Amino acid sequence: MEEVWIAFAAALAIGLPAIATAWAQSRIGAAGAGTLAEKPELTGVIIILVAIPETMVILGFVVAAMILLM
Amino acid sequence: MIIRMAKVEIVGPKQDLLTTLELLHNRGIFQPDPQLLERVELADDDRLQALVLDEHDLRERSFFQDLYERVAALLKLLPETTDSISPLQPLPVMDLLDELVDQHLASASEQTRILADGHKEMEDLQHDLIFWQALEPLLADLPRDSNLELLGITIRDSQQLQALEELLQKRTQGRCHISSTTTTDGSLIGLIATDREIAGSLHQALTDERVPEMSLPEELANLPLAQRIAALHERLQSQTANCRKNETQLLEFSRRWRPTYRRALSWLEERLTLYRATATAYTTRLCFIIQGWMERAEVLRLHTDLNRAFDGRVVLEQQAILEEDLDQVPVMLRNPGYFAPFEILSRLLPLPKYSSYDPTPLIGLFFPVFFGMILGDIGYGVILLVISIFLAKHFPPQRLPSDIGKVLGVAALYTLLFGFLYGEFFGDLGEVWLGLHPLWFDRSKDILPMTIFALTVGIVHILLGITLGALSDLRRHQPRQALLKLAMLLAVLLLVLAMIGWFYPQSWLNTGPLLIGVGILMTVLIAAEGLLAPLELLKTMGNIISYIRIMAIGFSSVLLAVVANKLGGMSGDIMVGILVAGLLHAFNLLLGVFAPTVHSLRLHYVEFFSKFLDLGGRRFEPWHKRPS
Repeated sequence: MEEVWIAFAAALAIGLPAIATAWAQSRIGAAGAGTLAEKPELTGVIIILVAIPETMVILGFVVAAMILLM
Repeated sequence: MIIRMAKVEIVGPKQDLLTTLELLHNRGIFQPDPQLLERVELADDDRLQALVLDEHDLRERSFFQDLYERVAALLKLLPETTDSISPLQPLPVMDLLDELVDQHLASASEQTRILADGHKEMEDLQHDLIFWQALEPLLADLPRDSNLELLGITIRDSQQLQALEELLQKRTQGRCHISSTTTTDGSLIGLIATDREIAGSLHQALTDERVPEMSLPEELANLPLAQRIAALHERLQSQTANCRKNETQLLEFSRRWRPTYRRALSWLEERLTLYRATATAYTTRLCFIIQGWMERAEVLRLHTDLNRAFDGRVVLEQQAILEEDLDQVPVMLRNPGYFAPFEILSRLLPLPKYSSYDPTPLIGLFFPVFFGMILGDIGYGVILLVISIFLAKHFPPQRLPSDIGKVLGVAALYTLLFGFLYGEFFGDLGEVWLGLHPLWFDRSKDILPMTIFALTVGIVHILLGITLGALSDLRRHQPRQALLKLAMLLAVLLLVLAMIGWFYPQSWLNTGPLLIGVGILMTVLIAAEGLLAPLELLKTMGNIISYIRIMAIGFSSVLLAVVANKLGGMSGDIMVGILVAGLLHAFNLLLGVFAPTVHSLRLHYVEFFSKFLDLGGRRFEPWHKRPS
C-alpha cells in the first residue's frame, strides 16, 4: 500500500506543477504573440517570459524523482 | 566587448561649420549629442546658444529644399533605367538644373498624363472588343428590325441575371428579350433587345438595379456590328502604337536625364542633412561648438583629418567622461572571431549600458557548454555538426544562417564531448551496439549525482555573476554597493556549505558556525539594504536551484531516446523498427535543439545576467553617408 501512496505522491508532484505551467505558459504565450506582432524586437524577452513557468514543472519533476528514489 | 568611447568637443569658426559637418558626415564615425552641451555649459554661459542659421544660409536651405522636392517629383515620373548615377558635380550646375527641372517636370508630367490616358483607352477598347465579340453570336439570332434597341450589360452572376430577367419582363410587359453569354475573360454579359419606344424606361430600370451598361464612343455606336468590331480593332492598334511611341520617348528622356537628376537628388539630400545637422551645434558670436561621441581609437585620426582640412582652425578635444554622462554614453558592441556569431543571442536582449558588460563573450563561453551538458549525445552531436557545417559553408559570412551554423557547431562539439562522458549514442544504442560505457555519469540512472553536478554548475555561475556585479559597481565608483554584493556572495557561499554539511556530514564541515556566519552577514545586509536583503538571498538560492533543469531536461532527452530505441526494437520488422526509431529520434533531436537552447538562454538571461548586467544602453549611431 505504501508503494501506491509513494507513486501517487510522485504523480501529484509532477502533475500539478505541469498543469500550472501549462496554464501559465498559455497565458504568457498568448500575450507574447500579441506583443511580438507589434514589437518584434522583444523576441528575447518573450522567450524568457514563456520559459519562466517551466521552472515549476522542472522542480516538480525533481521532487517526484526524489520521492521515488529516496 | 563594449567598445571604449570618447566624449569629444569640436570647436571652430562659424563659417567652417558646414564644411566641418560635411567632413564628419563623410567619415561616419561621429555621433553628435547636443544634450551634452545643454547639461554642462548652457546653465553658466549665456553667450552659448543653439545655432540659428543666418539669412543667406536660410535662403540657400530653402532653395535646396524646393529643388529637392521638384527633382524627387520628376524622378518619380521617369521610368527606371539601367544607367548608373552620373559622376557630374551638381553644385556648379545647380542654377541650370533649377531652370531645367521645371521644363522637364512639365514635359514629363504631360507625357505621363498622355500615356496614362492612352493606357486607359486601350484597356476600355480591349474590354469593348471582348464584349462585342462575345455578343456577336447572340446578335445573329435577332431579327433585323430597325425599331429594335440593343443594350449590352455586364452581369455579376447567374442569380442577378435571373432576377433581372424577371424584373425587365415585368416592366416591359414581356416586350423585351434578354440573352447572355460568357466572355473570353470569364465575365458574364447580356444583350437586351427591346422596342425603341420603351428603351428609356429600360435604361432607368438598369440604373436603378445598378447594372452597368456598355457604352461605345459615339462614332462607333452607330456602326453595324461587323464594322464596329473591325473599327474597335483598328482603333486599338492605333492606340497601342501611340502608347509605345510615348513610352519610347519617355524612356529615352529618362536615359538621358535620370542619372544626372539622381546625382543631383543625392547631393541635395546630403546637403539638406547637413543643414538639419546644424541643429546639433551651438554657437558663440564667432565660433561653433559641437559635442558628441566617437570610438576612442578613432579620435587621433579625426584630429589629424580636421587639422589637415582646416589648417588648425577647427579643433577637436577629447573630454573626460563624467559620472553623470555614463548613462548617456552610446554603446557599440564588437566581438572578435569566435565570439562574433554569439551576438545573435545577445541581440535578443536590449543593449547593455556603457558601464556594464557586453554579454556576448559570456554567452559564447557558457551557452555551448550548457547546451552540451543538456543534450550530451554523440549521435545527435554528429548530426548537429553536419547541419552546422552546411549552414556555415553555404551561406555568406556575417549572415544569420551562417552565424546560427557557427553557434550550433560549437554547441555540437560540446554535445559530442558530453556524449562521450555520458556514454550516449542515440540514447542507449551505443551501449547495446558499440559497447559504449559512460566515462562519467549514466544519466538514465545517476539522477542524484547529475542533480548535484547541475547545482554545482549553478553555484559557480551565480557566484561568478555576483562577482561581476561587484566589479561593475566598482567601475561605477560605488564601493558600498560592491561591498554589499561581496557580502551577499559570502552569505550564499556559507549557506551552500551549510547545506552540504547538512546533507553530507563531514568532520571538517560544521554547519553551526556556518549558519551563524550567514546570520551575521544577513544582519549587516538588512541594516544596509532593508528587509529586501533576505529576499535577495532567497532569490539567489532559487536561481541556483533553477540550474537543476540541466539535469531534468537532459534526463527527459535521454529517456526519450531510450524509448525510441525500445519501440523500434519491439516492432519485429527491421525496416519498421528503423522507421519508428528514426522518427522518434528526429523528434527528440528537434526537441533536443530547441529545449537546450531556450533553457540555456533562460539560465543566462534570468539567473546569470540579473546579477550584474545593467541593460538599457543607447545604440551608437554615427552620422554616415547613405549609399547612393
